[in-house]
Amino acid sequence: MKYTITLIMFVLAARLMPQSLTALQIADKAQDAVRVKGLEAVATMQIFDDKGNVRIRKIAQISKLTDGGDTEKRLIRFLEPSDVKGTGLMTFDYKTGDDDIWLYMPALRKTRRIVSSDKAKNFMGSEFSYADMTPPSLDDFNFKLLGEETVEGTLCYKLEWIPKDDDIAEENGFSRRITYFGKSDFVIRKSIYYDLDEELQKELIIHEVRELDTVLHRYRAVQLEMINKQNGRRSVLKNEQMVFNPDVDESKFTTRYLERE
Amino acid sequence: MKSLSEWIIRYRWAVIAGFLLVTVVLGIQIRNAEIDTDMKDQLPKNMQSRLDTDKIDELFGGTEMLMVLIRTEDVLDPATLKRVRNIARQVNRIKGVDKVMSLFDLKSIKGEEGAMIVDPAVRRIPKTDEERESLRQELRDNDIVYGVVVSKDFTLTAVIGMLRDNVPDEEIVAEFEALIAEQDGPEEIIIGGLPFIRSQMGYNIKRDMRRLMPVAILIMLVFLYACFRRIRGVILPFLIVIMSILVAMGLIPLLGWKIHIITVILPVFLIAVANDYGIHLIARYQELNIPENPALRKEIARLMFESLNRPVLLTGLTTIAGMLCLTGHILVPAKQLGVLAAIGIVFALSASLFFIPAVISLLPRSRPVLITQADSKARKPMLERLLALFGEVVVGRPRQVLTAFIIFAMISAVGAFFIVVDTNPANYYDENHPVVHASELIDTYLGGSQNISVVYQGDIRDPKLLHKIDDMEHDLEKMDEVGNTLSVARVVRQMSRALNDSGDVFYDKIPDNRNAVAQYFELYSMSGDPEDFEKMVDFPYEHALVTARINKTSTILLERVVERIQNMVEGDPDVLLVGGFGVVLSDLAHAVVNGQILSLFMATGIVAILLMILFRSVMAGLISAIPLGISMLLLFGLMGMFGIELNIATAMLSSIMIGVGVDYTIHFLWRYREERRQGLDYSDAVRKTLLTTGRGIIFNAFSVIVGFTALLVSTFLPVRFFGFLVVVSIFTCLIGALVLIPALCLVIKPKFLEPQR
Repeated sequence: MKYTITLIMFVLAARLMPQSLTALQIADKAQDAVRVKGLEAVATMQIFDDKGNVRIRKIAQISKLTDGGDTEKRLIRFLEPSDVKGTGLMTFDYKTGDDDIWLYMPALRKTRRIVSSDKAKNFMGSEFSYADMTPPSLDDFNFKLLGEETVEGTLCYKLEWIPKDDDIAEENGFSRRITYFGKSDFVIRKSIYYDLDEELQKELIIHEVRELDTVLHRYRAVQLEMINKQNGRRSVLKNEQMVFNPDVDESKFTTRYLERE
Repeated sequence: MKSLSEWIIRYRWAVIAGFLLVTVVLGIQIRNAEIDTDMKDQLPKNMQSRLDTDKIDELFGGTEMLMVLIRTEDVLDPATLKRVRNIARQVNRIKGVDKVMSLFDLKSIKGEEGAMIVDPAVRRIPKTDEERESLRQELRDNDIVYGVVVSKDFTLTAVIGMLRDNVPDEEIVAEFEALIAEQDGPEEIIIGGLPFIRSQMGYNIKRDMRRLMPVAILIMLVFLYACFRRIRGVILPFLIVIMSILVAMGLIPLLGWKIHIITVILPVFLIAVANDYGIHLIARYQELNIPENPALRKEIARLMFESLNRPVLLTGLTTIAGMLCLTGHILVPAKQLGVLAAIGIVFALSASLFFIPAVISLLPRSRPVLITQADSKARKPMLERLLALFGEVVVGRPRQVLTAFIIFAMISAVGAFFIVVDTNPANYYDENHPVVHASELIDTYLGGSQNISVVYQGDIRDPKLLHKIDDMEHDLEKMDEVGNTLSVARVVRQMSRALNDSGDVFYDKIPDNRNAVAQYFELYSMSGDPEDFEKMVDFPYEHALVTARINKTSTILLERVVERIQNMVEGDPDVLLVGGFGVVLSDLAHAVVNGQILSLFMATGIVAILLMILFRSVMAGLISAIPLGISMLLLFGLMGMFGIELNIATAMLSSIMIGVGVDYTIHFLWRYREERRQGLDYSDAVRKTLLTTGRGIIFNAFSVIVGFTALLVSTFLPVRFFGFLVVVSIFTCLIGALVLIPALCLVIKPKFLEPQR
């Protein structure tokens, strides 16, 4: 009798406690947490070299989720410096397969598609890679929950990503990645990258997070900093104006629109 | 003088202990000595080309390259390509490697159906023959890789690791070598590049030190025994040598210096030269130590010191002066060698004059070696017979002897016109050495192993400047000595071909509007690695580099190219500097020649002045300069005739030869004057001097000659040639002292050698 009561109490207690999430579930929720239906922003990218020289790019950006959320289309227009003003970049990030990228160069009045299979490539010559800017395919990685830790005042899940094979590792440019996701909002706060030799390579720090879609609870980072620990370079992306806009006109994501300076 | 010799005898224990103490204290410092193979450390800090090259490194990052060369019939063979890919991957993972250039790392930028495609130059390994040929065609059109990491005939490909700053050569080379050792397959796979040459140098310096020293020591021991046939005749001069080596080498770390390739010469030099003074003392001792002489051992020690201290001191001083003239050498280690050798000689000289008599005064008289004058001629050893023959020839026909020497000097002088200057470190080795093989492959197939770079400053995105860079690159490309070139203009052109269709106005052109250039770069930063440009243009686009690779190892051709390029950019305000290792080598060549001429005159002048002071006569200086002059003519004549280059090592020859070679003349003149003062006539004085001091002179010269022959087993060609030439020129000085000088004395009858009235 005594045993039965203990057993019942035990089962009850287990059912009352919130179920703990698996590492994969956290990664999945983290992907969803930044899926913003539509967005308009003006951002500044600062690219520092190891001697402290800086290049500044000011861009305007619109993005929209299409295909039922499977494809994110993005249009970037350079505002500054003046010599590249009007240069346009359009990217279609597909859930599977290589992304499409087009670039429009106003000085030549020409649009060129850029074909590249390599996601580890740097984005706009910064320390951010294309892989950092687009949601990765979760099937490519093994996840492990390493515990919880506080990052700049936010309690986070500490998650380890290991590419499933060498090709994936090479494509993404890292052999291991440790990411900290906020426990309450699942938004990334920090990420540490290890290169193919398993040496510390880069560190991503998110300085501010803003909730854009208050209905679906979707978030975006306001300021991102990527520090390359190996070559001393550093890049900062600051979203100065960021507006949630689910009604971005889809017809804007065409090469014709891209060429309309 | 007498008081000094008595002082030595009285305090002999203190003298002996003092010398031993200094030796031990300095000798134990040797273990702190480090080897330094960085060629830049050998150059003076204020040398313009060194400063310029440092500036290039500062602006564009390290330019050091270590490479794996893969050679086979066709590098596009799938099995070979797989191995190349494997090697490239492994090199990418080596820690000290910053960036890799290979068929799989360098990019192909091409335009296809409205798209710009940036991919690794070889993206997929071809499966069929058609794929292989289309890849071949594609690589031919890719001027980022063609002739740079793959030879134009596709028999050679390179995986080039651009190294991070301050990676220790030996570590990185060991990693590359381990990687190469793992490879199987029929291809010839070797390592190449400057860090490899340097690590080989470090390895060979150590090997040389281990090999040369015992050889030289052994030769010397045998030689000393052959000369004196008594244990003390071997031990004493030899002890002086060992002591002076310990002292001189021990000073290296104390002075904050390091062991360089040239330093290899130091112990051998000391083995060869430091025993000279001891040899004269021992020879004198044996002369005194004849049965007829009733003197006690202390007395003999005193006589030995007194009769020899002046000429030995003077020969020591001339050698020291010659070595100090090396401080006029352009290379830092050669300057250091001069100072160290001079100090070693100071020590050997004082040890010979003080330590040897002190020890001799303690030892019982040894069994006499020399036969007394009373003995018959027939029983005299060969050496004495030879010296007697010299005497007869010189005394009999002094004028003919002089004429023969003049003719000989004129003939050998002809060769001097063919002397070639060389400073390329790849030429340190003989033709079978892997360093030479690798350099040859790079020179023949992959553009060349030496760099000359022109640095432009200004707004690099300005089409006007970019056009200028493009023009410069084309001009450089046209030069015969230039294997290939690299600049940001080339990449802009390549992009223009990818972005525009052929026939388009922009196709294969530098765009003539600044925004277009900026947008090209922006485009590239979207699709390629921003570090791809790092070696061509700096981050703020304020400096750009045009690099020409030189495929000739000849320093003369290199000098010509450097001069032409410098003339081309002269007065151009957009050009910041012309630099690179090629310019350093060319600069070095100038400095070697100038330093050679300077040290030649300096050494001869100082030596002549020393003689003038000693004999209180201008004529003494002039006469002693004659055999030196003939030796020098022969030296340079031989170099010209045998094609031995004037390089960083052989440029030290004249100083050493003058400092050491004049000794025999001094010994002869000194003794000849003494004999004249004793009342002998000219001919008898010559005969007597040759038979007495002549013996010491021959021992002395041969000890130098056999000592330096040890250098012939060195790994480094310059050191080997140095050994050969020093042997020949010392021999000439010896003959000069034993034949030419006596003939001169007989013909001129100089006043300073006459008995004082």
